[in-house]
Amino acid sequence: MPILHTQILGQGQTPDGQIVQLPPSVALQQRGPCLQASVSVAQIIATQLLQQGQAVPPPTTGLALIDTGASVTCIDETAAQQLKLPVVDVVTIGSASHASAQASVYPISIDIAGLPISIDAPRAVGAALASQGLLLLIGRDVLQFCTLFYNGITGEITLSI
Amino acid sequence: MSNRNGNAMLEQERKYFDENRAKWLAQYRGKFVLIKGTELIGTFDNLNEALAEGARRFGLESFLARQVGQDEKEINIPALTLGLLRANPTHSNIRSGSNS
Repeated sequence: MPILHTQILGQGQTPDGQIVQLPPSVALQQRGPCLQASVSVAQIIATQLLQQGQAVPPPTTGLALIDTGASVTCIDETAAQQLKLPVVDVVTIGSASHASAQASVYPISIDIAGLPISIDAPRAVGAALASQGLLLLIGRDVLQFCTLFYNGITGEITLSI
Repeated sequence: MSNRNGNAMLEQERKYFDENRAKWLAQYRGKFVLIKGTELIGTFDNLNEALAEGARRFGLESFLARQVGQDEKEINIPALTLGLLRANPTHSNIRSGSNS
């Protein structure tokens, strides 16, 4: 079972404008459990494309935030379109305080830096994440296959799949 | 949050799914249907099989692959819908930085 263990690093600014390194525990609290990841079209689709001699769009890389509150994984909508991912369904994102919104569903494959295996998320939802500096929200559809240990005291996370 | 092109592309497929929902519930409950336009391409035991056939036929074009009996259900992403992603106030950064 591959295991990724990482400590979250971050910088802060003092009132006089000085940039300082944050303690890992503070960096984890502020940034959340973020990992470097790359996204490509789901392996099952890439295989079909290759068998037909078609080009597979190159992966795109960015920051993935592990979000145990998200029922499904989300991919930045702009990145999904740049990857030329096919839309395979449409879902409604519910909200108690806002009007519900519809979003496209994309079949993706996720590679997390430091983990030697790809994770398929065949029903990832498109959402505007780039403005938050994110490529992905890793939701419970992926986490159901993982063990996640969040150590807020040391600012470390351990993810195994 | 919505991709207008993608939604528009699947409007026909979703409408076709809705029109046939009752019939397919009796025939294909639990199966995954693959729909392109107003054509049922096939039914499959799992999503991966439906996606593979969709990609084989249509490449990177969009198509609808949905489980019969699992309609357009609502999903929940509170951090996104409530605008809580990276919702740290600036003063929190400053206080933390000063402590280090």
